[in-house]
Amino acid sequence: MVKPKLKTVLAAEKGVDFKQQRINKQRKLAEKKKAQKKQTSQEPEDDTDSEDPEVEDQDDVPPALVPADAEVKKSKKKAAATEEDKKEAEGEWEDEESEEEDEDEEDEEEEEDDDESDAASVALSDISELDADVIPHQTLTINNTAALTAALARIETPKGPFSLVQRLTGPCPNLPKDIHDDLARELSFYQQALAAAKTARDLLRKEKVPFTRPTDYFAEMVKSDEHMGQVKGRLLEIAANKKAAQDARKMRDAKKFGKKVQQEKLASREQEKKKMLERVESLKRKRGTDDVGAADGAEFDVALEEAISGKDSKHNPNAKRAKRDAKYGHGGKKKRAKSNTFESTSDMTGFSAKAMKAKGPTGVKKGGKKRLGKSKRAGGKK
Amino acid sequence: MASVFKTVTKDRNVEKEEDIDMQDLAQARKENKQRVLTLCSRGVTFRQRHLLSDILSLMPHARKDAKLDTKSNFGLLTELADLHNCNNILFFEARKRQDLYVWISKAPNGPTVKMHVQNMHTMNELHFTGNCLKGSRPILSFDESFDSAPHWQLLREMLTHTFGVPKGARKSKPFIDHVTSFSIADGKIWYRNYEIKEEEPTKKSTEGMTEEEAAAQRKKEKKTDTELSLVEIGPRVVFTPIIIQEGCFGGPIIYENKEFVSPNQVRADLLKKKAGKHLKRVDDKVKKAVKTKELAEKRVASQQEMLDSLFQ
Repeated sequence: MVKPKLKTVLAAEKGVDFKQQRINKQRKLAEKKKAQKKQTSQEPEDDTDSEDPEVEDQDDVPPALVPADAEVKKSKKKAAATEEDKKEAEGEWEDEESEEEDEDEEDEEEEEDDDESDAASVALSDISELDADVIPHQTLTINNTAALTAALARIETPKGPFSLVQRLTGPCPNLPKDIHDDLARELSFYQQALAAAKTARDLLRKEKVPFTRPTDYFAEMVKSDEHMGQVKGRLLEIAANKKAAQDARKMRDAKKFGKKVQQEKLASREQEKKKMLERVESLKRKRGTDDVGAADGAEFDVALEEAISGKDSKHNPNAKRAKRDAKYGHGGKKKRAKSNTFESTSDMTGFSAKAMKAKGPTGVKKGGKKRLGKSKRAGGKK
Repeated sequence: MASVFKTVTKDRNVEKEEDIDMQDLAQARKENKQRVLTLCSRGVTFRQRHLLSDILSLMPHARKDAKLDTKSNFGLLTELADLHNCNNILFFEARKRQDLYVWISKAPNGPTVKMHVQNMHTMNELHFTGNCLKGSRPILSFDESFDSAPHWQLLREMLTHTFGVPKGARKSKPFIDHVTSFSIADGKIWYRNYEIKEEEPTKKSTEGMTEEEAAAQRKKEKKTDTELSLVEIGPRVVFTPIIIQEGCFGGPIIYENKEFVSPNQVRADLLKKKAGKHLKRVDDKVKKAVKTKELAEKRVASQQEMLDSLFQ
């Protein structure tokens, strides 16, 4: 702060007598008050007129602003100091350092708080020329440091051993800039508490205060067993759900893989069939085409069976017959075999919402090519 | 005879030690005697009530009282506290069945702090696995920012008196197994409770060591302390200080937080914003009508001009 110093130097050079100024001011003030009183008593309606000069005196100081009532009455040194204070306190919060510096001063302000209201109405008009460039400010936040410290001193517990109050003040590290970042915020709180717990244990051990609870000490807990059971149940449920989800994913993957396996199986079957036919062909070639007569028929059959190892044609049912039996019925009850039952109606395996959606409302597949109009088709033939 | 003598003298010694302990305790009680009158106003929701009961379960030095029936005359609380021999008051004031304010006061002579409660979650909702003895004394952990300003210092002292369990309180238990932490972030006080868990440090296997080495290892392990870790217990609450009064539910306001926006204001602003939508639409309609009219006039004027220039 350069200004106040400069100002004081300037004032000293000019030979301004602060004491005299103050006295003058007080006198002026008293006179004004007297005059006002007289006026109001004489002509009560002319109230506004009497206030006008006062307003003009204020120049560009808005009326809502809180006046510098304290420094007017104080010595020059203190006035400079409060100026400093004011400039710093343009924001909402007063700076901590300045408060500490001016604490004794604010004590005095404290004493004058009682008659603040009437003092304010006067001092606004009486900001001296010397204080003209001071920026008056509105106190946005009430923060009466002196009263706060007094209250604290009144209720504070006397200093004693740590175990008396068990209070620790420590840093809250890595507090995130974005307070809504839950994880980071809780982590920093956790770190603060953990550090406190560690130091507290050391301090309490030094004072021989029991810290650790023995394992055989049982007493009522804050949360009942029922509550803890619920918590544990919830944890187990979460774990079970997680496992179930994992299993389901595995099954899905297996199904995808299963399709591939099925295709491979089909392919291998085809290949086997081909191989078998080749073997039959080769057998025929070995025997010679002319030899295959009616007499050798049975022998050939045996050889064939030997060639197709494992396959027993005798016990194989006729596939065509079996199919027809299934379709038209052979053996078993025929009545109501084809009518719907409870199971068949509630069976939704054939139903697929996807498939339904894939088709349009009339059952025509979306994206399928539409048949063009007749003229277009005729046009194409030309 | 000698053995009898021994036991008697021993008993005396023990008594002496106990006497000293009792003296200590009496001294402590004298120095830090706190009793907290805890109550809420009429019209609390069930969550607010549960929060109160959670906090009560952690405060063996609290005296619970019936709901306060008045919504304005809090001076009654001072008398109530006097009646119950309490020197602290923790009062939950519910408004409009949604906003919760907490008043913390030192009983006969103040000061009083009024704070707004936000983001509260009861133990029941949180499902935390931490648990602690009912009535064990907490370690109070405060953020460093509590040193930064006088109002924070005052708040720390008052929170200590209310939430800290004094030594030798009637229902308190002798072991320490939880931490209550207060941190300042975003101009608000964040309240958390943690259980202290002590775990044996993981032991190294002594296989493949000579006996001497193993013995040294064991000795080392005995020396090393158990590892501390914390598990949260709940509840979680955020307090926003609003005002500090010098007296007990009265007196001049010595601190006021102008950054605090009342929840009523927030809700009103939201409503206004909604109402603003409709007003803007009406306004736009009028503006549009005016504009079209102006344009039409301009067009007529320009046509007239053209005609005039043609038939000059």
